Amino acid sequence: METLEYFLPQVWFAILALFLFLYVLLDGFDLGVGILSLTSSTEERRSILMTSLSNIWDANETWLVLMGGGLFGAFPLAYATILSALYIPILLMVFGFIFRAVAFEFREQARRKWFWNIAFGIGSFTAALGQGFALGAVLRGIDVDLSGHFVGTQWDWLSWQSIVVALTLIQSYVLIGSTYLVWKTTGDLQLTHYRTAKIAAWTTLVGAILITLGTPIFYQSARSRLFQQPLVYIFGLIPILAILLISQLISSLDRRQERMPFIWTISLFVLTFIGLALVVFPYIIPTQITIYEAAADPSSLVIMLIFIGFLIPVMLFYNLYQYIVFRGKITGETGGYEG
Amino acid sequence: MLGVPVHRLNGLDAMDIFSNTVALSRMQFALTASIHMLWPTLTTGVGIYLVVIEGLWLKTRNPDYYYHARFWAKLYALNFGVGVATGIPMEFQFGTNWGPFSEAVGNFFGSVIGFEASWAFMLEAAFLGIMLFGWERVNPVIHYLSTILVAIGANLSTLWILTANSWMQTPAGGEMVKGKFIVHDYFQAILNPFMVKSVSHMFLATLETSLFVVGGISAWYMLQNRHQAFFARSFKIALAATLLVAPLQIYVGHLSAEQVYRWQPSKLAAMEAQWQTIPAGQSASWSLLAWPNNRTEENEWEVAIPQALGYLLELKPELSEPVLGLKEWQPQDRPRLVGLIYYSFRTMIVIGVLLAGLMGGSMVYWLLGRLSFEKIAQQRRLLWVWVWAAPLGFIAIDTGWIVRCTGRQPWTLYNQIRTADSASQIPASHVLVSLSAFAVTYLVLLIAYCYFGSRILRRGPNFDLPIPGVEVERPAIATEPAEFVADERPVEAQQ
Repeated sequence: METLEYFLPQVWFAILALFLFLYVLLDGFDLGVGILSLTSSTEERRSILMTSLSNIWDANETWLVLMGGGLFGAFPLAYATILSALYIPILLMVFGFIFRAVAFEFREQARRKWFWNIAFGIGSFTAALGQGFALGAVLRGIDVDLSGHFVGTQWDWLSWQSIVVALTLIQSYVLIGSTYLVWKTTGDLQLTHYRTAKIAAWTTLVGAILITLGTPIFYQSARSRLFQQPLVYIFGLIPILAILLISQLISSLDRRQERMPFIWTISLFVLTFIGLALVVFPYIIPTQITIYEAAADPSSLVIMLIFIGFLIPVMLFYNLYQYIVFRGKITGETGGYEG
Repeated sequence: MLGVPVHRLNGLDAMDIFSNTVALSRMQFALTASIHMLWPTLTTGVGIYLVVIEGLWLKTRNPDYYYHARFWAKLYALNFGVGVATGIPMEFQFGTNWGPFSEAVGNFFGSVIGFEASWAFMLEAAFLGIMLFGWERVNPVIHYLSTILVAIGANLSTLWILTANSWMQTPAGGEMVKGKFIVHDYFQAILNPFMVKSVSHMFLATLETSLFVVGGISAWYMLQNRHQAFFARSFKIALAATLLVAPLQIYVGHLSAEQVYRWQPSKLAAMEAQWQTIPAGQSASWSLLAWPNNRTEENEWEVAIPQALGYLLELKPELSEPVLGLKEWQPQDRPRLVGLIYYSFRTMIVIGVLLAGLMGGSMVYWLLGRLSFEKIAQQRRLLWVWVWAAPLGFIAIDTGWIVRCTGRQPWTLYNQIRTADSASQIPASHVLVSLSAFAVTYLVLLIAYCYFGSRILRRGPNFDLPIPGVEVERPAIATEPAEFVADERPVEAQQ
């Protein structure tokens, strides 16, 4: 039973990390394309951008809903504390989601599309911004008392560090969105996004360097974690690998490869995510409450493992299946359900 | 229970509602939930309708059914988008605004929200893409499978969310230990006393509402002399289904009221504006109309049917069990908004009876042969009633939820956790800002949805879509030419 009480929260930490990672990856390019739509020069280009997402945006966003539901069930304390501490960033994200979600259908029906274009672009940006602030605040740590209840103020999430994190996250979404468009489109549109991808690769790199250097300098708790044996070797390796991947990414963009930029970007996301997960673990409310303290009753974790766990491969399978169904380049206005 | 100080009243008692975080959080939840609810109602109900229509197409290969599937799916897509957009805030609100509640009930309630996301939302979201955009990319069987999975996903969502809410009404399967609900038996918690009937009631509500929406829209087209034979078909499918659904819903609704009588007597007392207890063995009248006054703890006036409550609950004039009156509880332990609960309950019942009556009347027309393809468009009065009946189901659903959740007050978890202890301590000004933002946003969405929805309706079905597997030339419309009534709308309205 003792080992179970450690093992189960760890399993759920891993599952939630998987959900969050899939979300960041999939909705990352989704939101990135949305932000990029603000720069679209023509209505037709914007249509192609939105068509490239029309069949998948909802499933992509559902990974976050899944992660939220899982967090609620597996770590109720963390769900309650983090969400109420981050009221403003979470609501920024929620309102961003609302406007970008309805824009898909409303824009298609509207004769004058400008309002829904803005709703889609700004909505995507706002959602990413809210997530960035939330991530920044969680990395900085949330002020809680001994029982894990929030004792900070409603503006704690706002600091220059969280601004850097938010801007970097937006850049990385733009990067993965650009490389997704490079993969899914052709012609001039593709050329445009080779350019945006390259710009975003550099800006993301700058942000990543700032965060990598800033974290051990400004955060005492992260510092001790980073220089712990044997983790220090992994943390030492991550920046080196990241530099390698970024140089691969940039050279693949220069060589006008179509799929590799997206794949290199995904690899970068994997690497960054592993790094972040290792910094945070075993805390679920950094920097005070561990997964063991916040976990639900072991029996709940077991039931959830039975009810949700077996569905994970099934969900992965049918999501993959629909990507296969809609494989291929998007050209012009095809793909609408009106034909 | 929890050692809650008795002076802590239900949030709405506050002198100044705008500086009361609990009251504002409640208003925010009520607003977002009641408006959000409108869209999933159609996604779950019309989802089943689409399964039937596409199945009929696969079986008969009659192109009409195919075009029905395409036409209703277009409305479905619009509806789904807004449903997702308005639904996301719901999941996050438990954490942002109801943190203490979430922490206390996470063991069970949180798991169920997780089940909903993994069983229902993901299934629905992943296969919706294929259902809407995949007609030319997958074969008809896979497409049909996707339509079925979308409908299953939507209805599993009803199952889990009603399970979670029923458990809030009748918490079972465990106990509160040091402020947290510890589950002893998950299946007992899932199959809590309210669960089966509440899930059925809601399932039927979404289905019935959707059927009357499909019937009402079809009636509108026939009144407009557009595609009459085509829409007579969807009208009759909807009507035929209501024959079963509308009476069944009244019966299940009755069972639901009975379970309230048994498990939540303070809610029943509010539903009936019953201040004084009716002792066992005494004649129990049913209040038809009344004006409850919270301050004086009595009804200012009342019109009641003698003995009717006895017949409603036990099929005899006198009850074997007492019906407790509101005064049995201290004011802080019973629902406060008696008038709202009382009138919401009656609104729901009236609509349920009206819709069943409309079904009955239409059935008489059908039996008399007045709904044949030649004659149906002449029944203008009946068709207009159907058009006006289309929104009624939504009102019944929202009023039903008002009864269910306002009547549960002052508890979030019935008799265990008070609403006043459930809310996150966020500055009231922040909640006021988010509440106002939600109010404006949801109003915009509602208006835009009605605007674009009516545009889709005015445009009508598109008979130029290619039928999968059919290469040959085909007539513009697949019904018999003699019955075809041309679309008389100006061209620009159809584009």
